[in-house]
Amino acid sequence: MLEKAKVSFFLAGRSIRRGNKGITIFTIFVLTLIFVQLVLFSSMLAGVTVQFNKLLVDFQTGNVVIEPKEEERYIEAASALQKKIESLSEVTGTSARLKASGAFRYKEKEMGATVYGVDPTDESFVTGLESTMLSGEFLSKPDRGEIILGREISGGFGALMDSRSLGGVEVGDTVEVTIQGRTKEFRVKGIYSTLYFMIDSAAYISRADMEEMLGVQDRDLAQEIAVRTTEGTDEAVTREKLISLGVRENVRTWREFAGLLSLIEGTLGMVRNIMNAIGLLIAFVIIFVVIYVNIVNKKRQIGVQKAIGIEQNVIIASFVLQAMLYAGAGVILGYILMHYGIVPYTVANPVQVPVGAISLELDDLEAVNRAVLLFMASVIGSVIPAYKLANKGLLELIWEK
Amino acid sequence: METQSEERIEIGRETESGAGISGTKFDAIVEGINIFRTFKMGEVEVRALRGVTVSIRRGEFVAIMGPSGSGKTTLLNQLGILDTPTSGKVIIDSIDTSTLSDREKGKFRLYNLGYVFQDYALLPELTASENVYISLMMQGKSKAEYESSAAEILTAVGLGDRLSQLPSKMSGGQQQRVSIARALAHSPRVLFADEPCANLDSQTSKEVLDLFKKFNTELGQTIVMVTHEDWHAAYTDRVIRLKDGMLEQ
Repeated sequence: MLEKAKVSFFLAGRSIRRGNKGITIFTIFVLTLIFVQLVLFSSMLAGVTVQFNKLLVDFQTGNVVIEPKEEERYIEAASALQKKIESLSEVTGTSARLKASGAFRYKEKEMGATVYGVDPTDESFVTGLESTMLSGEFLSKPDRGEIILGREISGGFGALMDSRSLGGVEVGDTVEVTIQGRTKEFRVKGIYSTLYFMIDSAAYISRADMEEMLGVQDRDLAQEIAVRTTEGTDEAVTREKLISLGVRENVRTWREFAGLLSLIEGTLGMVRNIMNAIGLLIAFVIIFVVIYVNIVNKKRQIGVQKAIGIEQNVIIASFVLQAMLYAGAGVILGYILMHYGIVPYTVANPVQVPVGAISLELDDLEAVNRAVLLFMASVIGSVIPAYKLANKGLLELIWEK
Repeated sequence: METQSEERIEIGRETESGAGISGTKFDAIVEGINIFRTFKMGEVEVRALRGVTVSIRRGEFVAIMGPSGSGKTTLLNQLGILDTPTSGKVIIDSIDTSTLSDREKGKFRLYNLGYVFQDYALLPELTASENVYISLMMQGKSKAEYESSAAEILTAVGLGDRLSQLPSKMSGGQQQRVSIARALAHSPRVLFADEPCANLDSQTSKEVLDLFKKFNTELGQTIVMVTHEDWHAAYTDRVIRLKDGMLEQ
């Protein structure tokens, strides 16, 4: 057994070392590209997911969200709770928000969207909405009767669902907002876009205006408290700390709000799997063709090897080993290219996509998975032609043209 | 050496207990009994051998001769178990090779037979030495053993200074000598050579034939050689003549 393996390795090694260098380089080059193609889409998808998550945390949920207890509408004594939460060293800001569904009306157009009542100063410690203004400015503390609209509400500014919007509201215009039966006119102070259409389908007014519309003035209520923590803090740990601090409300990390993202991720995941399958099929065909051409050229040699008593399995194994070596080299080069070339390049020069600037994220586990699949494709792609040819009769191999 | 002899005994024992041993001639090492070989070429059947019976004695140097298309190479392929007769049988050293499976035949060739082809048939990616020791490696010999055996036999054929040379850097005569060294490295019971000098000039052919003669007389190596040339046949002990797939009377 061992001597057979030794002979297979010996033949494969000599063939690679002394065989046609052009074919070897070409095969490895093609396999490198296939590996890159196999991991590229996953890396892109991971990059998009990271970007989506970042948008969600940076512009909507913060890292942790406190919600009212079960069957309660509001968080009571919101400012006291905020202070309690802010006592944790990793917490950099909290924003107690009131939120409600609002009906918007501008000229002849109407639409519904979520309206947040926030303290602009607190909000700026949690989300970066201030930095996303396309036009006008964000709210400031004394503002009353002013509103900030996402571009999906205002329309224009490249809104993705422009036809559903109010159709081109501009800063300075007045929109009519109805919340729980109370209607009030607001002057548009600013229009923002985070590039994430879910966040861009909301509007912000001051807490005081919202309290008035909900009829809960001076009661220190909130419907959610968004909590921002320092970079790199594990949200699950913060959640535990908040619970042990005596927070009785629902404490949820941002991940629980990323449901839609998982849906998108799942859909893109399917696309990725299909692309992987096609990529693997291409890999298989290329390996098959390269090995087949290589083997057909060595038909007589195979015949001679069989004639002098080298076992058929040893001959087949020598070709499979060559293919595995090619695949191994392709995987290593592809990984190096991704890890030290393409990924760092996209980090330095992010790719602009509709959700913002994304960089590729190379997941090592995915890379290992693709490497294994490529190896399998190369084994099958080499076994079939090697077996087919080595199985032929000696006379046919040695003497037939 | 031990593995090789064990292997030979094993295959011998297996077949001795089986049927089909002629045992008619005490010193016959190769016997071809009533060999027919028909090839199908599309719709046409070509009867390359039509009932050939031959016997080759141990230590004999035999030439197979005949005009083109007479079945010389086909007969050599049957005797060397590179091909299987349509009917008839080939017995080598009392072993009926028709009872062996393809795998067993491969093993039998590895341990017992050596081949020299017209166009040398060396593996181009292996050096002279590697070409010679690949079959010894396959037999499971140690690195030291197969390397020294290869060096020894290559020195014996006059190529002791070209062990690491690739076939592409050698002349036709040198390649054929490597091929002879490869065929003899494992001390086969029979050496089969198919027009070994066909691609060589007369001087080089003479050197190759001298080598065959040397191994035949000094080591008692049995050699069966197909040739066209009468002066090649002059080196041999006996000539088997074929015509139209039959022995010439």
